Amino acid sequence: MTAILSGLLVGVLFGFVLQRGRFCMNSAFRDIILGQDFTLFKALAVAILVEMIGFSIMAMTGVINLAPKPLLWGANIVGGLTFGVGMVLAGGCASGITYRAGEGMMGALMAILGFGLAGMMAATGVLKPISDFLQTTTKVMTTDGKALTLANVFGLDLKVTMLVLAILIIVIWVALFMRNKSTEATFGEKSKSLGESIFKRGWGWLPTGIVVALIGMLAFPLSAAAGRNYPLGITGGWINIFQSLIKWQAVVDGNVKVTALSWEGAEVLGIILGALVAALIAGEFAIRAPEPKILLQTFVGGLLMGAGAFVSTGCNIGHILSGVPQLSIGSILGGVSIVLGGWAMAYFMFIRPMNS
Amino acid sequence: MTDTITPTKTINECGKICPYPDVDTMTTLKKMKKGEILEILIDYPLSVERIPRSAQKSGHKVLSVKQLDGPTHSILIEVLGLK
Repeated sequence: MTAILSGLLVGVLFGFVLQRGRFCMNSAFRDIILGQDFTLFKALAVAILVEMIGFSIMAMTGVINLAPKPLLWGANIVGGLTFGVGMVLAGGCASGITYRAGEGMMGALMAILGFGLAGMMAATGVLKPISDFLQTTTKVMTTDGKALTLANVFGLDLKVTMLVLAILIIVIWVALFMRNKSTEATFGEKSKSLGESIFKRGWGWLPTGIVVALIGMLAFPLSAAAGRNYPLGITGGWINIFQSLIKWQAVVDGNVKVTALSWEGAEVLGIILGALVAALIAGEFAIRAPEPKILLQTFVGGLLMGAGAFVSTGCNIGHILSGVPQLSIGSILGGVSIVLGGWAMAYFMFIRPMNS
Repeated sequence: MTDTITPTKTINECGKICPYPDVDTMTTLKKMKKGEILEILIDYPLSVERIPRSAQKSGHKVLSVKQLDGPTHSILIEVLGLK
């Protein structure tokens, strides 16, 4: 019960911030090539850098044990590319479709249905053999059986490398920023109260990135206390929710066990709730749906995302937000594959038609 | 003041998913003449913030962004860009 409550709490906070910050990695990556808008990408970069520092200090002080995901290169590449293509069709990444369901967007809900369905198929159904094959045949570990990270391939300590690397990147970023000064477009910026800034307006990229990271840092030890030693995630949560709904019976240590809601499942439900609350306060909630053809498109996108995320062992949250800060090479490869799959699909769907 | 502005063209992007409102806006702006005014009706919060940003970046003038009913906003853009 405590596990459910702590998952729900983290999820509600995360959902609130996702909605306020309009934090979506499909947009973050796609906007780089479509419109050269770096706003959300900067929010993501801030979140990753702050998490790197936070996770590092928390690991040094014994609050958490770092848990980078192993490199399964074939699965990371194939799953990541599939996920990337899917998120463009679905109109949002795994966290994006989850928080937008809380805003009342039916396209996002259709994508979630596809996501959970394909996730289950990959976890336990018809796609399992392909997933197992890719994951087992392309697994590469260190000689002492640890997950490969950007630190241990060079014989460095992970915690120290994370801290040093993050500080180095931040110093370079600030230096570049000071040289170029801010040329960001500001429109309609009237003076506003703190309450209005937090509850009524969209957040800027810097506060969004920092608060997302703080929630990731809160999630890590709370999730670990519930027996899942990892920061924020989405994929496992959705699969868990769908399996709980159909009372899926799993065989655990020879005993048949009905799937119950997990910490990650509660976290995902919390995201919808948090986004719903944020949208209601801001007056941005409404049940709305695109045309049927687009609903089908988001469902298919969701299917590709669910299958891809399971095969790759992580979605944009598990790999990019939670895995990249831990310098997991599997997560970096999975993340890069998501970006490349997304770019390829965005080129064919939006950029090429726009230019012709 | 902005209430008196009559848009040359209005596009309804309500219900649409990411990034169709942005793509529709940019392609419509490209087809319009200098001085004309485009109104975008939209209920997708991310694009409500992103469309003014990208329109300004393409050299157009954002006249107003108004919340109408719930998430629905009206964005008015004056075509100035040469791109």
